Amino acid sequence: MKTYGSEPGAPTPVQVGISELIVSEGDDTLKSYGLGSCLAIALYDPDRDIGGLAHVMLPDGDAAEHSDRKPGKYADTAIRALLRRMVEAGANYTAVEAKIAGGSDMFEFESFGEGVGQRNVAAARAELEKLGVPLVAEDVGGEHGRTVEFTPETGTLVVKTADKNADHEVIEL
Amino acid sequence: MKLDVNALGTFYRMAREGAGLAAGRLTHMTDVETQVGVTKLNFMRGQEIRRDFEDSTEKVGVRVKLTGAIEGYSMIVFERENAFRIIETLLAESSSDDAVDIEEREFDEMTQSAATEVGHIMNSGFVDGWADVLEAVIDVSTPEFVEGQSAEPFFGDIDETPDDDDLALLFQSRIETVGTEIGFSHYLFPKRTSMASLLDRLRTSGGIEYDKLDGFDRMAERGAEEIAETATTLTGIDTSVEIRRLNFVSLEAIPQQLPDETLVGVAFEFDGMPSGYLIFLFDEESAHEIVDAMIPMDVDEDGFGEMGTSAIKELGNIMASGFLDGWANVLDTTIDHSPPEFIHDMGAAAVDPVIIQLGENQEFTFVFDTVVMADGREFDCEVYAIPDESDLERALNDLEVDRIEETPTTAEFQELDNT
Repeated sequence: MKTYGSEPGAPTPVQVGISELIVSEGDDTLKSYGLGSCLAIALYDPDRDIGGLAHVMLPDGDAAEHSDRKPGKYADTAIRALLRRMVEAGANYTAVEAKIAGGSDMFEFESFGEGVGQRNVAAARAELEKLGVPLVAEDVGGEHGRTVEFTPETGTLVVKTADKNADHEVIEL
Repeated sequence: MKLDVNALGTFYRMAREGAGLAAGRLTHMTDVETQVGVTKLNFMRGQEIRRDFEDSTEKVGVRVKLTGAIEGYSMIVFERENAFRIIETLLAESSSDDAVDIEEREFDEMTQSAATEVGHIMNSGFVDGWADVLEAVIDVSTPEFVEGQSAEPFFGDIDETPDDDDLALLFQSRIETVGTEIGFSHYLFPKRTSMASLLDRLRTSGGIEYDKLDGFDRMAERGAEEIAETATTLTGIDTSVEIRRLNFVSLEAIPQQLPDETLVGVAFEFDGMPSGYLIFLFDEESAHEIVDAMIPMDVDEDGFGEMGTSAIKELGNIMASGFLDGWANVLDTTIDHSPPEFIHDMGAAAVDPVIIQLGENQEFTFVFDTVVMADGREFDCEVYAIPDESDLERALNDLEVDRIEETPTTAEFQELDNT
């Protein structure tokens, strides 16, 4: 979903839909709803309050055609695009830290093989490692959905889970 | 007329580009922040389009006639009340001492011309977006203001709108203002001949005969009826098919159209020609209602315990068999499905694993959207049948359209032995 125009400090969180990535700063909140096997990747520079959130669906963009058209779709290309845009916005590459959430495997279908969620998590970890970005917190895997809210200023990633007993569980990463 | 995924993909891009430009212009004009909601290519029958309109809310529309690269009609529709709210924003800016009396809620010359202006600017946004994607010129007529409660004033006099039983390709988009409930719908009714020549230009493969898609939709219609009948037989709740349509969307759009709430679902993978995934989603209240109806005694379970879960899985399993048998009979093939997977979670999270799996090889998909509802009781079931793209193309090419009318669809009520 695209948002046209933005009011700084607006109370409505900006939605980051599947295959999208948004870089922002300050106390703006970025939100992704209902992640199942998709993965939310949050990067931020704690010194400069600049951060971004990506809602990726697939692991490997380098192996896919046209991944340059939609870098937010793949874990590897999304991380690089987030970093680039954050640096352009004034972030310091070496200070950037990462948090990830999502990557569940909800179904045991034959066609799913080793698990679509796990592959996303593994790809994100590998790309962060390659770029030397420390992964400081994560809430990944399992068999349940998550909704995440990220605030660049504090680097806080709030993860909400609809757990099996319908109690809403909230974790702050 | 033949179509293929590449041509439909271009149409989808057109719809999205157009919606983006239209939303941008609305923001520019009113200073109200807007966002593009779900964009879809719908294959809808005339009667469904009309039913869409007959929800007894007063609507206003602004329509223009198109000529050039696309011929047909483009129409922006808003609820009457929303139209007034937008006009209020507009007029408040230009002439603050001459505010509109919103209480009256009647269009006078000034408000009607303001509404027409808004609609026209948005229509032009859509058209410019399509022209950009097609790299061609589309001419727009002067706008026409329409109001009413039923479909008649909006489409009655347009030749391009499909007859009750004709399957038309319709571009549909939603634009919403951020933080409020104001939304707009946009429709494009292309002329069939204009659509056919565009499809010819955009096609990169042999393609599927349009009539086969029509046949496949009829077959899915039977599958949907089968689901409603099965549900009625098993639960004793009188259900019927409320909405049913064939959409062509980008994979990412599917989870985004689900509400941000916890749903109960049953998912299957099916294998054959075509293969793909089938998902039934119920809201929690409906799911409880189903459990109560299927289990005669009082069950003391928190949420959905073992008995509730297995009741819903059983219902899902039989509905899936009915639905897929409907397809298989017409296609003269067999389609097997996996054991049911139960899910009680955020709606989008239930669908995204499937999107991811298909997303490795395809960008778009046909979705068979079905909503089954009950009169008076809670039974809302959304059905998503998402076939593998290349399989579907092959299955459709093999389809003999004549068979559809002859083939009976009867679900076999088989025992569920895998739970």
